[in-house]
Amino acid sequence: MFIIFYYTYIEIGKHLYFSALGTNHRCFQGDSLWGQHCDCAEHDLPKDRAISRLQEELYRLQEKKQPPKSSLSTIFVITPTYARLVQKAELTRLSQTFLHVPQLHWILVEDSPRKTPLVSNFLMKSGLTYTHLNVPTAKERKLQEGDPSWLKPRGVEQRNEGLRWLREDRKTEPGDNGQQGVVYFADDDNTYSLQLFEEMRSTQRVSVWPVGLVGGMKFESPVVEGGKVVRFHTGWRPSRPFPMDMAGFAVSLRLVLANPDACFDGEAPMGFLESSLLKGLVTADELEPKADNCTKVLVWHTRTEKPKMKREEALQVQGLGSDPAVEV
Amino acid sequence: MPKRRDILAIVLIVLPWTLLITVWHQSAIAPLLAIRKDEGAEGRREAGGQDSKEYCASDKDIVEVVRTEYVYTRPPPWSDVLPTIHIITPTYSRPVQKAELTRIANTFLHVPNLHWILIEDSQRRTPLVTSLLRETGLNYTHLNVETPKNFKIRGDTRDPRIPRGTMQRNLALRWLRETFKNNSQPGIVYFADDDNSYSLELFEEMRSTRKVSVWPVAFVGGLRYESPKVNAAGKVYGWKAVFDPHRPFAIDMAGFAINLKLILSKPQAYFKLRGVKGGYQESSLLRELVTLNDLEPKAANCTKILVWHTRTEKPVLVNEGKKGFTDPNMEI
Repeated sequence: MFIIFYYTYIEIGKHLYFSALGTNHRCFQGDSLWGQHCDCAEHDLPKDRAISRLQEELYRLQEKKQPPKSSLSTIFVITPTYARLVQKAELTRLSQTFLHVPQLHWILVEDSPRKTPLVSNFLMKSGLTYTHLNVPTAKERKLQEGDPSWLKPRGVEQRNEGLRWLREDRKTEPGDNGQQGVVYFADDDNTYSLQLFEEMRSTQRVSVWPVGLVGGMKFESPVVEGGKVVRFHTGWRPSRPFPMDMAGFAVSLRLVLANPDACFDGEAPMGFLESSLLKGLVTADELEPKADNCTKVLVWHTRTEKPKMKREEALQVQGLGSDPAVEV
Repeated sequence: MPKRRDILAIVLIVLPWTLLITVWHQSAIAPLLAIRKDEGAEGRREAGGQDSKEYCASDKDIVEVVRTEYVYTRPPPWSDVLPTIHIITPTYSRPVQKAELTRIANTFLHVPNLHWILIEDSQRRTPLVTSLLRETGLNYTHLNVETPKNFKIRGDTRDPRIPRGTMQRNLALRWLRETFKNNSQPGIVYFADDDNSYSLELFEEMRSTRKVSVWPVAFVGGLRYESPKVNAAGKVYGWKAVFDPHRPFAIDMAGFAINLKLILSKPQAYFKLRGVKGGYQESSLLRELVTLNDLEPKAANCTKILVWHTRTEKPVLVNEGKKGFTDPNMEI
């Protein structure tokens, strides 16, 4: 009697458990992926039920023309980059942040006449969705060795190239879905928290937030009153139309596409680069404040030191430099 | 004829056990439903392209469904088979601290079975670090020990005779020894500073450490990289460094990892606090643990760079002025 009870309860237990999971136990006939139909009567184990369920799902996915669309809007991150010693290190740790962000499309633009193998290989292994572009900065606009970093605006041609590609690419994406998204300009040496990307996803026109460690201060920030940006908290030239750092705003894709001529002006005076783009897109009172009405710092304008190479240079003079085949 | 009471008793005892067995059965097929991370990543390479789907057309093999929606579990689920990597990071308050810890946490969130031991150089654990650690979701231990200030020097300067981070690293070693005294769980110990850059591959390389493993580090010693010298037999016999290559271990803190068992078996081995010449700190610990011969070279016999000794610029805060311009309540 005990044995009868035991088996009865096993079966009841199984049935209850699997119906709770919603597992369907259907079999394909004829036209299945495996070219043979599954005789479900033979093996009645949980493993096979799961396999059948997965088969079904795969079958259903294959039938559809388009994969199921994600409900999240895509964040297009435009990053200019250039070859220097710390480039691979910077890109590596930046990609590690981006890998956590769903629906992110990285547009990496090299300041170079040709795509370099370092960046090409890096992107291939990164695991991210990306577009690899390149455009060289004109010689007279390029910072020379020894120039202070603020002397000439950097990344202008590269960011504009990113915008150009995005506008071209979206022409091939029909319908309203192709217009949904957010564009963010992320430099490769800044630090980004994961929360920042979720804040910017809901951008309707241009959203703004504080940036840490920039403008000679602990942070720069829009000042919000009654849910609107009324002025900007900055220690340097607050009379600029948009006294913000590149990392402090995001633009909706719709706005970018609706204004095909809006781009960065490389001739703009120092500190006016951001304004040169934004003034053609929004007015200050249209700005959408994020990060808890601009009270939290979610991005920092960190800069990486140039590594000291005195010994390397001394060795190279003697012809004993480190193996250039080892990529740093 | 069994009594009714007895039947009821048997039923009440047997039922929970049978349900337990069915649950165990179900968990055995959980791996089938798990989403493979690298499969998902492979298919997302093309710009704006469709996700590729791979499957094996065999009714015996398990079907792998490539999801079009990336599953973000951070950190990755804990595995019973991987040795834990205990990362020891000393940290101290300065303007870039939160930024550094944020981005290094974003790196660590990819590594399975990672335990982060963060030690503050402070009198008390600060709220900044406490809440940062909690929000990451990482498996962590938060410690603190203050390096004694040298009151003879004006201003808040730590005792310059004690290399920075030493007391904090030693505290972590002591914590590990106390915590894992009677525990034989496999583990690897790695000293990771909060401003370096790490590739994810590095953590998988160090997981197989038996005693002490070593690899090249970029941007140290005034070179593109420093590296152990490995002979044809796969043994370390020297150091490719210009700065004092005859140090017992001419290697940076970020260039080696130690098996936890070795740390536990040599309870006297610590970083030397005082009287350590610049560049000899790593040797002060390692010489108590291994000889050159025992070192295991990783990173393709020390030919690949998987960690960079980057340093972050000190931010120019000139516009803060004497009284501070920005809201001091805003945490940066």
